Amino acid sequence: MAMMSGHVPVEINHMRQEGMVRVTWDDGHVGDYPREYLRGYCPCALCQGHGGEIKFIAAPNARLAEISAVGNYAIQFGWEDGHNTGIYTFDYLRSLCPCPQCKSSKAGAAEKEG
Amino acid sequence: MSAVSEQLVLEALKKVQDPELHRDIVSLGMVKNLEVTDGKVAFSVELTTPACPLRERIEEDCKRVLAGVDGVKELAISFGAQVRGSKSGAGQTDLLPTVKNVVLVAAGKGGVGKSTVAANLAVGLKMHGAATGLLDADIYGPSIPILMGVREGPTKVAVDGDYKLKPPLAHGLPVMSIGFFLEPDQAVIWRGPMLGKALHQLMADVQWGDLDYLIVDMPPGTGDVQITFSQQLKVSGAVLVATPQDVALADVIRAKSMFDKVMIPIIGIIENMSYFICDGCQKKHEIFSRGGAERAAERFNIPFLGEIPLITSLREGSDKGVPILVQEPRSEVSRIFLEIAAKLAGQLSIVSEKARRAQSLKIVTS
Repeated sequence: MAMMSGHVPVEINHMRQEGMVRVTWDDGHVGDYPREYLRGYCPCALCQGHGGEIKFIAAPNARLAEISAVGNYAIQFGWEDGHNTGIYTFDYLRSLCPCPQCKSSKAGAAEKEG
Repeated sequence: MSAVSEQLVLEALKKVQDPELHRDIVSLGMVKNLEVTDGKVAFSVELTTPACPLRERIEEDCKRVLAGVDGVKELAISFGAQVRGSKSGAGQTDLLPTVKNVVLVAAGKGGVGKSTVAANLAVGLKMHGAATGLLDADIYGPSIPILMGVREGPTKVAVDGDYKLKPPLAHGLPVMSIGFFLEPDQAVIWRGPMLGKALHQLMADVQWGDLDYLIVDMPPGTGDVQITFSQQLKVSGAVLVATPQDVALADVIRAKSMFDKVMIPIIGIIENMSYFICDGCQKKHEIFSRGGAERAAERFNIPFLGEIPLITSLREGSDKGVPILVQEPRSEVSRIFLEIAAKLAGQLSIVSEKARRAQSLKIVTS
């Protein structure tokens, strides 16, 4: 299970031109999430089924329509094809951060676990 | 002798800390209407809740630091209160914009006296002088109408071409319950989406008016209703009610893990049915053992707000629809409820300070 980071985002910027979502966190960390990447890791049960590891499910040309906050704890992304059931908790979103720093620390942790 | 200036007084008052917020009262903006003329100093301290348990201490501290300022001949301190909002929650529409603090009273399981505690907490906050409302969200066993003695349901009022529900008043508190919409003795047999809709209406379609606190009596457990609240509402925090035996700990852990997941802070634990004082022998009987909830609070570093005894008059008052705080305001158990309400208000002030400092989430498109 992903570790609880306890970090919360302070700004979510949908950069339409770049096709990315930039998340700025309360600790100053910034991550740029390509939209196909975000959609591929949609955690909802329609995409992932029930149980098992979260898999990447490719959805080429996924276009973001809407971003909204859910309570105190998550972000919901609505896509142009109408899909909007994915609720990304802050911890999950942080664990997805694709920046080189986060990627390499995750790879390191995975190696240690063997 | 040099004259005292406002500057000097403020400098001195900066040494007075709010004991709960751990910051000085000047930078917290609590010092208002300061007037200094010919050595006469007058100001008011705006507390963050009328139920402030620390008012006397703040007053003494103010007097002490100003005694050390040359030229202060007269001192007049008055107290006021402005409850600050503590609702945190990201940019979603707030269903209760006129309510400053929303407090969920919850328990990991049923039968711990959660509704009785919720009703008396609401009455307690009201008695401390705060505008308070009570929302019964216990879909499966709405008992607030009985506990508060409400016989009439809400009335319809026209607002901006639309209709809203005006809650009935019980002992001075606006009260809303899902029970008002059910036939008596009928059970609610609804699936999740129906529950969500009903709750949404209880929040959005009710004319609560300006409230400092809204106490919500939650259904027991960890399910649909809890999720709805955490997703649709800006909530200040949750209070857990538990009984003293060791298994209560397991319930507290469950409830805590749920609120952690949806990031609703737990602002206190209350132990109910802590002990029974026999009316024959005056001996304290600890029927369910004692201190389990306090141990749980310690273990998770959650403020322990107090323990409520098992008392026949508390049960009798509840059955009659007259909360013990109204029926016997001077009794020992009423004193306990008032103290717990004050501690809760204090915790909410702390949460509000945190919520204010935490930046709210901005969602933008560029």
